[in-house]
Amino acid sequence: MDHLADLLPGTLDLLILKAVSLGPQHGYGVLLRIEQVSGGRLQIEQGALYPALYRLEHQGMLRSEWGTSENNRRAKYYRLTAAGRRRLRDEAEGWQKVVAAMASVLSARPEEV
Amino acid sequence: MFARIRSTWRAVTRRTAWEQDLEEELRTHVECRTEDLMRAGLSREEAERRARIELGAHETYKEQCREAQGLRWPDELQQDLSYGLRSFRRNPGFTAVSVLTLALGIGATTAIFTVVNAVLLRPLPYPHPEQLVYVQEILGEYGLSPFMSNREFAAWRNQSRTLSQIAAYMNFTANLTGGGEPERISYGMATTTFFSILGVHPVVGRLFLTEEDRPGGPPVVILSEALWKHRYGADPSVIGKGIILDGKVYSMVGVLPDSFVIPDQWNIKYTLWVPLIGGDTGRASVGPVRVIGRLKHGVNLPTARSELDTILQSSLPKSFPVKVSVVLSPWQEQIAQGSRLSLLLFLGATGFLLLIACVNVANLLLSRAATRQKEMAVRLTVGAARARIVRQLLTESLVLALLGGLIGLALARWGKDLLIAFISPNLPSLEPIGLDYRVLAFSLALAAITGLAFGLAPALQASRVSLNEVLKEAGRGGELRRGMLLRNLLVTSETALAMVLLVGAGLLFRSFLRVLGIDLGFKSEHTLCVSIDLTLSKYPTPKDQARFFQQVIEGIKSLEGVQSVGGSGIPPLGNRTGMVTGLAVEGRSEEIGSASFANISPDYFRTMGIPLKQGRDFGDRDRDGSPSVAIVNETFARRYFPSEICLGRRVSSWVHKKDWLTIVGIVGDTRHRVEKEPDPQIYVPYLQDGQPFMTLLVRTAGNPRLWEGAVRRQIASVDKDQPPHDFATLEQLEATSLTPRRVNMLLLGAFATLGLILASVGIYGVVSYSVSQRTHEIGVRTALGASQNAVFKLVVGQGLRSALIGTGVGLATSVGVARFLQAMLFAVKPADPVTFLLAGLLWMCIALLACCVPARRATKVDPMVALRYE
Repeated sequence: MDHLADLLPGTLDLLILKAVSLGPQHGYGVLLRIEQVSGGRLQIEQGALYPALYRLEHQGMLRSEWGTSENNRRAKYYRLTAAGRRRLRDEAEGWQKVVAAMASVLSARPEEV
Repeated sequence: MFARIRSTWRAVTRRTAWEQDLEEELRTHVECRTEDLMRAGLSREEAERRARIELGAHETYKEQCREAQGLRWPDELQQDLSYGLRSFRRNPGFTAVSVLTLALGIGATTAIFTVVNAVLLRPLPYPHPEQLVYVQEILGEYGLSPFMSNREFAAWRNQSRTLSQIAAYMNFTANLTGGGEPERISYGMATTTFFSILGVHPVVGRLFLTEEDRPGGPPVVILSEALWKHRYGADPSVIGKGIILDGKVYSMVGVLPDSFVIPDQWNIKYTLWVPLIGGDTGRASVGPVRVIGRLKHGVNLPTARSELDTILQSSLPKSFPVKVSVVLSPWQEQIAQGSRLSLLLFLGATGFLLLIACVNVANLLLSRAATRQKEMAVRLTVGAARARIVRQLLTESLVLALLGGLIGLALARWGKDLLIAFISPNLPSLEPIGLDYRVLAFSLALAAITGLAFGLAPALQASRVSLNEVLKEAGRGGELRRGMLLRNLLVTSETALAMVLLVGAGLLFRSFLRVLGIDLGFKSEHTLCVSIDLTLSKYPTPKDQARFFQQVIEGIKSLEGVQSVGGSGIPPLGNRTGMVTGLAVEGRSEEIGSASFANISPDYFRTMGIPLKQGRDFGDRDRDGSPSVAIVNETFARRYFPSEICLGRRVSSWVHKKDWLTIVGIVGDTRHRVEKEPDPQIYVPYLQDGQPFMTLLVRTAGNPRLWEGAVRRQIASVDKDQPPHDFATLEQLEATSLTPRRVNMLLLGAFATLGLILASVGIYGVVSYSVSQRTHEIGVRTALGASQNAVFKLVVGQGLRSALIGTGVGLATSVGVARFLQAMLFAVKPADPVTFLLAGLLWMCIALLACCVPARRATKVDPMVALRYE
């Protein structure tokens, strides 16, 4: 389960939106947060993170500003916009539905058919 | 969408900062990762190495970030632009020719459009101009009349519910005296509402009050700013003082700003305004008036028209002889009536010119594309998409077009004043014509469209290269044939376009020659004209008036170098017309019809060089108290006495009801308007039937202008308060009356000439190019024994074929297009075979010349050189 983003296109955006929704974060922080929250099960190809961040910002889902990181470095912090929050909610809902559907399909037993 | 464009725009405009940010963001990432890895126990070097490897292909991600930001398109555009500019710099000749050709086309079209915009499109300079309407009526078979009777105006003013306001105005001329030199001025009469409809405010003083345009209102006058400045030195204290107009005192109440213009198709100047008493005044003092109105909010034109028509019909007397109906048009449309056709014609002509320019540049681009084939092939081979190449070539042609557009705009800006000065006789008077946003948008759009128009075909052609053949350098023949076909097609089409212009100009030229060849019936050399309109209060009776003119004529006659002096109330080419209707002939029971009418002095025919055909001229014995006499022209005699002797018969009209006029002479026909057939005409001696106005014609021994001062002094010596006006030579009047026609002809002629030049440059370019491409082939032919003559014929024949086809197509198209010119032609049919033949011949000669130069070069090809080249 190394690179989930490769598995299902679109999931990377969702993961980023979710990570940023927990509080403004810089690129590397987004990466760590996804790893940490998933208990290390989801790892993202590091370089691929940035085009995704730029795309989301261009689409108006994120807003960025320069700030200082915890180890005193100049870092670009991303935060969720209202549009980003809506998108996160919609996509999360969609994801839940897919998961529920998949789960019920995969747990189906012969006698239920 | 908008947010994304803004986000891209920010990145483009602050590109360096954007790139630095991206770099720094990635660096921070690596540094953070390095620290984390060191914390996990790696050495600094190892940690840095790992961090970089984990981040992955750094530059690829940066590129992806750029794309995510929407920067790819602007980046590529920038590349295309800089590439295009570089290649233009390498080919300055090509660039200059293309840009100049386009600038010429766009400039000419923009300049004409500037005028079209001002006359036909730009709203009138009054509040809510779209509500302004002009009232006209159709009077049975007499046609459209722009004048209404004052009674009709009053009916509308009292009854209309569809117009929020209605006003009447009219122009007159008068002698202005008192305080300064006496002047003949043209002025306006207007109802009080006129100024409120147009929303004008006075510079000084006030405008008319409501009661001032009612019967019995006080005599007041509003000055124009120009008159106020030149006659009163812009002194505000003149308000309340008097001014004498035709002997009557008016008190000045206000001054109108210079910016207040009444545009109309007659170019009338209004030096001052006095109130027009609307409605039945009890005396027929005003006569016909012009009527404008303002539509009520939400009322449309047809509704208002039918209401005005209903009111008109009910106000007419029961036995009105002709059928009358109202025509209501937007004021702007009415103003532009006279110039619309010629303006649209010019716009069409410049459109053709621009098309020719486009075709020429397309041709140049094609030739250039051929030399860039290898470059294109290489780019395609290393993986460029075809669409990308087309886009790059289109970007280049758009840049060319925009450069052309900018220079064209500059040309138009500079040329429009020239143009306007030139065609102003054909334009309504307007406020100054300028380049506004509409003109800018027009020329920009024009540039963009032309860029696509001339760029698309060459771009598609160039990107369709066959890789193998080009890279092997063997496929030149194959590509050439296809390219040549397209090129010949372009030459054919520009020839056709130039032909249409040439035929149009030719038709106008032939019409002009026809008009020049018209015999006006009089001799116009060495003749000075000057008009005098007497102040009626000083010269109230015909006797007084005749005495004044007699004294003036005698005085001028005595001047040295004056050969003869004649006078006429209604001279040819003048603005006045005179008509008698209901003519009766003694011994016939029915009226015979109508005729033009003029009161003349005894020496009039001699001065004008009008031949006496039968009978006698007027003399001093034909005066008040002697038997009433008349002289008629040949048309009169022919029409009304076709099989009888005309001389000695007696005629009368309602003007002369009590008096029979004996016809004592018959003179040659004259034309009152150059392009109008002579009317039947009656002349009577002014000593028997005087009038308060006369134009004197003074035949002099030399340049008639030199006698102007002496004539002026003579008139002043009789009465200095009767200012002579409209000094001109008869030749000038003749030239002026031809001006609109001359302007149309010369302008279209200029466009046709430009079109011919461009088209011949086009054909020259194509033939030279084909010669340079076929050097090898020509070398082989010569080596195998082809004579120089044969080579010459081969090259010329090829060029002439396209020209010939184009001529055919152009002439066929002209038959259709020329019909639009119908209204501007005189005694020439739109499908005039002479014009078509001459136009075709002229172009074939030019085309032959354009082909000969490169063909001669082809004959000079040295077979050895040509073959070794391969």
